[in-house]
Amino acid sequence: MVFQRVFIAVWLIAGLVLAYIGWDYQAPFSYEPVGPRAFPLLMLGLMCASLVYLLVKPTPLSQEHDEQPMDAPTLRKILVCFLLLLAYALLFEALGFIVSSTLAGMAFARLYGGRWKGSAITSVLLSIGLYILFDRILDVPLPQGLLSGLEI
Amino acid sequence: MDTLTYLAQGFGVAMTPTNLMIALIGTLIGTVVGLLPGLGPINGVALLIPIAFALGLPPESALILLAAVYLGCEYGGRISSILLNIPGEASTLMTTLDGYPLARQGRAGVALSLSAWSSFIGALIATCGMVLFAPLLAKWAIAFGPAEYFVLMVLAIVALAGMAGDKPMKTLVAALLGLFLSTVGIDANSGVYRFTFDSIHVADGIQFVVLVLGLFSVSEILLLLEKTHHGHTVVKTTGRMLFNLNEARRVFFINLRCAVGGFVIGVLPGAGATLASALAYMTEKRIAGPSGQFGKGDIRGLAAPETAIGASCCGAMVPMLTLGVPGSGTTAVMIGALTLYNITPGPLLFQNEPQLVWGLIASLFIANVMLLVLNVPMIKVFTRILAVPNWALVPAIAIITSIGVYAIHATTFDLILMVLVGILGYILRKLDFPLSPLLLGFILGGLMEQNLRRALSISNGALDILWSSGITQAIWMLVVLMLVLPVIRIWRRRQAQRKALLADA
Amino acid sequence: MTLSLRHLSIAAATVLLSTQLMAEPKRPECIAPASPGGGFDLTCKLAQSALVDAKLLEKPMRVTYMPGGVGAVAYNTVVAQRPKEGGTIVAFSSGSLLNLSQGKFGRFDEKAVKWLAAVGTSYGAIAVRNDSPYKTLGDLVEALKKDPSKVVIGAGGTVGSQDWMQTALIAKAAGINPRDLRYVSLEGGGEIATALLGGHIQVGSTDISDSMPHIESGNMRILAVFSENRLEEPAMAEIPTAREQGYDIVWPVVRGFYLGPKVSDEDYTWWKNAFDKLLASDDFAKLRDQRELFPFAMTGDELDAYVQKEVARYRGLAKEFGLIQ
Repeated sequence: MVFQRVFIAVWLIAGLVLAYIGWDYQAPFSYEPVGPRAFPLLMLGLMCASLVYLLVKPTPLSQEHDEQPMDAPTLRKILVCFLLLLAYALLFEALGFIVSSTLAGMAFARLYGGRWKGSAITSVLLSIGLYILFDRILDVPLPQGLLSGLEI
Repeated sequence: MDTLTYLAQGFGVAMTPTNLMIALIGTLIGTVVGLLPGLGPINGVALLIPIAFALGLPPESALILLAAVYLGCEYGGRISSILLNIPGEASTLMTTLDGYPLARQGRAGVALSLSAWSSFIGALIATCGMVLFAPLLAKWAIAFGPAEYFVLMVLAIVALAGMAGDKPMKTLVAALLGLFLSTVGIDANSGVYRFTFDSIHVADGIQFVVLVLGLFSVSEILLLLEKTHHGHTVVKTTGRMLFNLNEARRVFFINLRCAVGGFVIGVLPGAGATLASALAYMTEKRIAGPSGQFGKGDIRGLAAPETAIGASCCGAMVPMLTLGVPGSGTTAVMIGALTLYNITPGPLLFQNEPQLVWGLIASLFIANVMLLVLNVPMIKVFTRILAVPNWALVPAIAIITSIGVYAIHATTFDLILMVLVGILGYILRKLDFPLSPLLLGFILGGLMEQNLRRALSISNGALDILWSSGITQAIWMLVVLMLVLPVIRIWRRRQAQRKALLADA
Repeated sequence: MTLSLRHLSIAAATVLLSTQLMAEPKRPECIAPASPGGGFDLTCKLAQSALVDAKLLEKPMRVTYMPGGVGAVAYNTVVAQRPKEGGTIVAFSSGSLLNLSQGKFGRFDEKAVKWLAAVGTSYGAIAVRNDSPYKTLGDLVEALKKDPSKVVIGAGGTVGSQDWMQTALIAKAAGINPRDLRYVSLEGGGEIATALLGGHIQVGSTDISDSMPHIESGNMRILAVFSENRLEEPAMAEIPTAREQGYDIVWPVVRGFYLGPKVSDEDYTWWKNAFDKLLASDDFAKLRDQRELFPFAMTGDELDAYVQKEVARYRGLAKEFGLIQ
């Protein structure tokens, strides 16, 4: 409940900041009375008003998710997973698809309880297989990165 | 009479062994491409055009191939929605709502086969509609101006309210966030850049694929982590793989209704499958009333959007064939393909190239039948995905999702944005904010704002353009009906209760 | 003097030799800075098939898509992140130059890339529905003079786009402020056609290629095409230019390619030679006609000069109309 309030408060502040930024949008040419700022400001306004309501009267979370409560180890794992995703995104181009995906795939597999051997084999096969499928067959170019010298 | 002769000729073209083979290959490739999140019919069709041209296929065969891929992709798109709760594209968003819960209950096979069946009926009815009414529909398509589109969007947003369920405020906030996000990027009316913070990467707005894969795929990865941590077991698909007669009967009238509705909306250029499926879902939810288990694995909630998607995909061909105007992104690519063959789609296509047009219509029939037939043995293969342990499934999802996002712009920016959106999506899901209204708001918002402003540019600011035409008035009536229907239902229930009380007394 | 001459001859000899021996650039790729199916895609596909047909490339080069801001995303990516890739050519159009001139391409200007070749052009045009009261461009200008708020003009782009510029130029010809027009921004030629046919707009500011199917079917008429002279294609020979009606408006929509700023001179020369050969061939002309593009051949320095001139012209117009300060 506390977390929900904090989150909504942050969201509300972000909404207000965006509304402040959006206040200045004006078109050099406008051929209709609405203009570029009315719609986003209206949406932000309604959103912020609803958020204020939620801040005052937060809806209790339904327990239909059949979930265990959040504990510290889970939270830590979620954080690791998030950082992993971020690192994968950042290194995707620099290392190239095959290298970055093998590394990231292995890390993911380990994080989700895979054994070393299985994780390694799966991620190598996945990244090479998907490279061939996308880059070669489906014509979606993927970055080569470190392996760009290999002329594959 | 002419029509029938032409159609017979069309079947003659489509039923040659080569073309049948081509349709088969097309549907298979399409299914695989559609299955991959982020890649849709546009990729599949765009990919095969040069190949078809290079192979020297005659224009009819090439177009048959493309139509088969198109339908195959639409079919493949639902697989990831139902099994993994990851809609690969906008139109299959509504499929996740009841499809995924069904899979969680171990009825993935039933869900897959029923959705294939629904989509088949939708496509079948739509193709018949095309044969009978194509010229008439062309008139309907051009009668839709900005004012009409705006009112149609209002109808869709009002229908969205039906998703509110037991947490109306959170649904509202989510939808508003989506509506707001649709305004990011260049404003199509005035050319002003809004909320881009001088970054060219969002100059055209936030990409739908980034948003949908972030919200659904990345957050799903994080949720799976929790489940793995707590040692949840995988849901195995039990029992039958096919829907039974009873289930088919239950959704039969829904199939019919949604097919007609989906087709009519699909014909409108630009509106397309998403709007059709969303409206179909909401309407059926309203009609079902409290008897429905919509959102918790109701087969009606699966059949409605699927039928509408199937119908609207065929509907989108109508403006292409009759007006030469693309009805959707995919048909735009197809028009490009036709020009390669020096055929300019346009009002004269029906006259100048009857063989091609009717061959295409006939091949739509055939591709639909083929998808249904292919689908039965394939379901078993697809549902195996559910048996893959998380440690192997998650890397695959993460990598394929990243490829899907990278494929749009080939920039790191989109990947990072996707991860950040994913975290937001995860928190929103944990806090019970529904994500589908957010996405629908995002899709509908842009269309609503731009068409309102276009309409007002046309009328020079006068508001009466919004209700002066017959079509707008008819849609406004539907809006009112949408709003009043639940009230009437409550009033009736009260009446019934009162009667019961009186009878008791 | 002699020294420099000798230098020159050596340089010339090496260039000659190297063009003979020079291998094609590694991983040839054409970036279409839009989603599949649009004009940029068409430009890339044209080069893709033409280069293979002329045996200049062994395998067709890949066509990849990088949509965003009429080419802004591709421009920035190539300049900032992939400046050295000799195999990567990027499609551009006059629309990209227009946005470039209005500072919508981020921090880079028109000197940031190596302009390679222009391969064809289309022309702007003003279309009306068949039953429209306007028979000539003059009729339209008169009507605008009388009351600009009575004429609803639809166009395929936002304020500042090519279609908008065309209408602004007409407004200028009529002596009225472009702000007083009734302008509706639609998306692309398809929407203009439907809106015209449905009677939602009265005049469409569009492009000649997009309108042809509807002209041929007799549903639409072209009041004027913004080319220098009448177009040669049989179906278009009847269409009057704005110039012959006394309005000096010429609006070509040129399509071509550029390379990254740090691409080696060898690669640049290879591409330039390839396009020079291509543009001179009849087979290419056929392919270009199929895609409804008109002749416009320019490569290397000549193109660079043209681009700089056009961008300057666009910038002047944008200032004049008050789009930029």
